[in-house]
Amino acid sequence: MKRLTAYVLLLALLLTGCGGSVDPDEAQESIQVIAMDTAMLITTYGERSPAAAYACEDTIRDLEAKLSRTDPDSEVSRLNAAGGAVLEVGEDLGVLLDAAAYYQFTTGGAFNIAIAPLASAWGFTEDHFRVPSQEEISGLLKLVNGFSLQQTPEGVALGPGQSIDLGAIAKGYAADKIVQVLQEYEVPRANINLGGNVLAYGTRPGGAPWRVGIQDPKRTDEPNAFAGVLELEDSFAVTSGGYQRYFEENGKRYHHILDPATGYPADSGLASVTVVADCGEGSGLSGMMCDALSTALFIMGEETALDFRRNWSGLPFELVLITEDGRVVATGGLADRFTLDESSGYTYEEAAS
Amino acid sequence: MKLTTKQLTLCALLAAMALALSYLENLFPLSLAIPIPGVKLGLANIVTVFALYALGLGEACFILLARCFLGALFAGNLNALIFSLLGALSAMGAMALLSRRRGLSIYGVSIGGAAAHNCGQAAAAVLTLGSAAPLYYLPVLLAVSLLTGGLTGLASACLFQGLRHTDLMKG
Amino acid sequence: MKRPLPKLRPTAWDGLVVLCVAALAVALAAFQWQGGSSQGLTAVVSIDGAEADRFALQDLLKSPRTYTASGYTLEVAAALRGDASPLDHVKSNGELGLQVAHSDCPTQDCVRIGAITRSGQSIVCLPARFILRLEGGTPDPDSVDAVLG
Repeated sequence: MKRLTAYVLLLALLLTGCGGSVDPDEAQESIQVIAMDTAMLITTYGERSPAAAYACEDTIRDLEAKLSRTDPDSEVSRLNAAGGAVLEVGEDLGVLLDAAAYYQFTTGGAFNIAIAPLASAWGFTEDHFRVPSQEEISGLLKLVNGFSLQQTPEGVALGPGQSIDLGAIAKGYAADKIVQVLQEYEVPRANINLGGNVLAYGTRPGGAPWRVGIQDPKRTDEPNAFAGVLELEDSFAVTSGGYQRYFEENGKRYHHILDPATGYPADSGLASVTVVADCGEGSGLSGMMCDALSTALFIMGEETALDFRRNWSGLPFELVLITEDGRVVATGGLADRFTLDESSGYTYEEAAS
Repeated sequence: MKLTTKQLTLCALLAAMALALSYLENLFPLSLAIPIPGVKLGLANIVTVFALYALGLGEACFILLARCFLGALFAGNLNALIFSLLGALSAMGAMALLSRRRGLSIYGVSIGGAAAHNCGQAAAAVLTLGSAAPLYYLPVLLAVSLLTGGLTGLASACLFQGLRHTDLMKG
Repeated sequence: MKRPLPKLRPTAWDGLVVLCVAALAVALAAFQWQGGSSQGLTAVVSIDGAEADRFALQDLLKSPRTYTASGYTLEVAAALRGDASPLDHVKSNGELGLQVAHSDCPTQDCVRIGAITRSGQSIVCLPARFILRLEGGTPDPDSVDAVLG
């Protein structure tokens, strides 16, 4: 009897012990985070993958608590409510505000975080969509384009009536901070999707590049309808497109990317802009760059966007532009990393360098 | 198998009781607590256990087949027949073997039967669905069978205790 | 061929039967959990024993999918581990998985079982002869890992 019991226990032990050793490529953790108004999917690899994934989540939650426009206690909300008074800001917000000023300058105002009052007037902040009157838009445009941030040693202050929204840059910055977390946890590979901001860290298990599909703007109701697929390793990629969020009124479609020059949804002939950059050593805050530029270049349109890339050669990024007239234009550095989906019906062009 | 009138009557009575018990256990939907296809109390197993000891293997099989076929007929669901048949026959086989072991009590026999019943049902699911996916539920089903087998064992023990001095047990 | 009357009190040998059943359960579970992962999960739907659909888990984030099987209609939606409600209604986080959100089958086992999140797990709806199964690993070298936009 005792011996029999021992055999049974031994058998159970043997059977359970089979999965003992852990292959670092197999050990991974996938978590879903709903934050910054979007669904995020974090997949990390390696022996410390669970801890790394949850550290990524903490990073996102921490940033959201500082930057949310809907949480009245966030630094951004307090700055918006300060009515022009000087407020001390933390390191993250400081970095973001500096970067925002830089991209506002380089893009000639196409990127503008002070667009917030205008976005609220159109109802994109609270999902109460409406088309504001021309007078209302003109009035708000003065606030938007007169945007200047007072930076003093004591802190920062907004102009009267101005408010900011970091939604066009926050997820990119979160991606930059996540790269630091992944390095700290010695994660060999990770696939992070912050609601359309993709961080393809390392490679796929097995060494092949991550495959990242670019949504076909014309077929948003179909799953897996891609204009093409990017093969990426150690890269950020961000797409901005008018199809992502819009409403219709009197048969006209109004999307969420507002042009600070006109106060209306940008009408530049582009259906979407994808910005790709390296996330390796020494690439700085390139996630934030991708995020900011995807919005700004969408507003600029094809010609101006490609000119911008030539003129600002200090900003190392590549582009995939999808135009309203059915063309996909990729810049030179992506030539061997982008594959057009032939069934999408787009024609492929390589941009002149 | 030659049956006396008394044995035949007993068999018919037991088959009817088994049917009634299978119906009765729908009133205790265990699957509400454990939502897995195939989770059941297995009350009809009490009849099988009793028949096995009081009448013998042949009669017990006869009762079991009658219960399965009539049950499927009443439910109008022939697909369910393969499930109940495979489950019940596996349980019967296991209990017939286990009941020969003198060291085992009624509890061990019942639990073995319940576990075998679930294995048989899982096999039926694998056969009808053409996929190994139902095996995924088997560990949980087996764990549950420890409980349900113990319960039917308890019920059977009470039954035998009550009938100990009647001539039913002496044949 | 009658049997001698059984013992009515549990014996040590009963314990052995319990141990054997438990060991079998543990062994089966261990076998299934081995290699269970939530990486690049692919959901495979089979109806009546034939594969009916195959998609990457994150595809469900946009919209649920509906299937008709044996006259029943089942809706498969994204879910978080331990949560019974579809993603849209939950402001929470956890492992991404999927679930049968609605079914008009009589047993409702497929709905009540909740979410599955790891490869090798499956949801079976017997009345509809419907199986939803998660497969892991790197399923298809041509599938995409993430979608932009």
